[in-house]
Amino acid sequence: MKVKTLKGVFPVIFITVIVLISVTLLAFTDSITKDRIEYQKEQQIQGMLKEMFPDMSRYTFENDIYIIYADGAKIGYGFLAVGKGYGGDIDILVGLEDETTIKGITIVSQSETPGLGTRIAEASFADKFAGLNIGDVALRQAGGQVDAITGSTISSRAVIDAVRTTAMEKVKSLKERE
Amino acid sequence: MGRFGKEFAKGIVISNPLFVLALGFCPALAVSISLDNALGMSVGVAVVLLGSNIIISAIRKFVPNMVRIPIFIVIIATFVTIVNLVFHAYVPSLYESLGIYLPLIVVNCIILGRAEAFASKNPMVSSIADALGVSVGFMLALLIISFIRQMLGTGSVSVFGFNLFTLPVLGEQPMVMFILPPGAFLVIGLLLALFRRMGVMKSE
Amino acid sequence: MNELISIFIGMAVINNFILARFLGLCPFFGVSKKLGNALSMGMAVTLVMFIASVTTWIINHYILIPFSVEYMNIVVYILVIASLVQIVELFIKRTNLTLYNALGIFLPLITTNCAVLGITLINAREGYSLLESIVASLGGGIGFLLVLIIMSGIREKLEIADAPRSMRGLPIAMLVGMLLGLAFFGFGGMI
Repeated sequence: MKVKTLKGVFPVIFITVIVLISVTLLAFTDSITKDRIEYQKEQQIQGMLKEMFPDMSRYTFENDIYIIYADGAKIGYGFLAVGKGYGGDIDILVGLEDETTIKGITIVSQSETPGLGTRIAEASFADKFAGLNIGDVALRQAGGQVDAITGSTISSRAVIDAVRTTAMEKVKSLKERE
Repeated sequence: MGRFGKEFAKGIVISNPLFVLALGFCPALAVSISLDNALGMSVGVAVVLLGSNIIISAIRKFVPNMVRIPIFIVIIATFVTIVNLVFHAYVPSLYESLGIYLPLIVVNCIILGRAEAFASKNPMVSSIADALGVSVGFMLALLIISFIRQMLGTGSVSVFGFNLFTLPVLGEQPMVMFILPPGAFLVIGLLLALFRRMGVMKSE
Repeated sequence: MNELISIFIGMAVINNFILARFLGLCPFFGVSKKLGNALSMGMAVTLVMFIASVTTWIINHYILIPFSVEYMNIVVYILVIASLVQIVELFIKRTNLTLYNALGIFLPLITTNCAVLGITLINAREGYSLLESIVASLGGGIGFLLVLIIMSGIREKLEIADAPRSMRGLPIAMLVGMLLGLAFFGFGGMI
């Protein structure tokens, strides 16, 4: 009787043991990689902010907005915008010189069509945003100053709309806090 | 060494996972757009295959038959998660590039297939040889496909940021289709036919 | 609502699981000539994708995230899927034996179908809400089903076609995949 129950129960015990070992191993791996992953993220953001604001000496992050300083003086703001692109979300880092002017944009991640939509990540597209008034960030056909990339209207428009709407939101929240 | 060598060599040509056994296509097609991706994915597959083959071979005499598949799955999934976390932490750009295809290694028929067909029935040393052979075979196949797609689809071939060469005409106007999904189907379809023609596997 | 429609269409045709994401290729290449079987297979996969999406979303939001054990997601998802497939298999066996026999080995193979684990991973990565996950899984499943049906119809002609010996079977099926993929690019103009 005892042998029979053991035989029936053994598979369950075995699999439970395996799962427990798996959980322990993964928890351990997670704990040693967690910090590194956070660090990588910070490094990436820092790198992109520094490229956009070469004079940056430090930055702070409050209410989802990066405030950029150069030796004590505030030189701009940064924030993340998300556009709905052809192949999913397009993550964009937007830099503001002040509350009305765009400093520049950097495409953080995207999964658009190679050769067409992926051209939004090229400098020639990003440069179109530099120095623009937030209100002018729109397609030329819509009264703005930005030309879409030929063959990737959806990707271009996703970026343009995301930059403009998020910029307006962030400026509004900055003003509310003053 | 003879036995080891034999199992190892099998995985590369006769039992090449992609071109002969026709397994593990999902990641191959998706990831083969650059040599970097191909190498990264191959390393991931190799680690998982090696790890799971070793463990499964080690416990093969104790595993109750009824729950054998779920146990193999948990073991494989554990290794895949480890690879996923490590890549995320130490090679983030590769991790982003491979996307969901890295965790999808867990349902890659190659891994479960080798576990079931080989590691669960063979001693440790042969299982290690098998894992290494199949991994190398997979990597070679993936590198060939990626090389062709990257060369024709972007006009230049680069690895780890170093540009190996840029083709004269294609460099300016590459045949973008090769980098897109249909291009993957085309390249693999033709390569499969080519391998068959060369007699590596039997035609239908 | 617009958002949901674009997710659905995106998953179904624009980024079709088989033709654009390369998920679920085994059933695609092994699909039978009989439309009925292709339809059943497609529906079985869609059903599993749907249930798996809901279940994993709940597990993700009520267990994994609150307890900070997101790293367990791969192990948990695949075990959930394996169990679900077992249950669905039993259910079909009890209610429709002919269907069970027709699907044969392909039914348990749904566990290793990249499309099922794929949709759960996509839902997690995109951070979809429960409703969005449901729409995404249905879209993905229907798109998968659509391509399976198309392939099933083409299969018949393929077998009679006078292809070179080395091209027969898998290689030519790949080329069909290429052509279908190119055709589906046309859907991009919809959104």
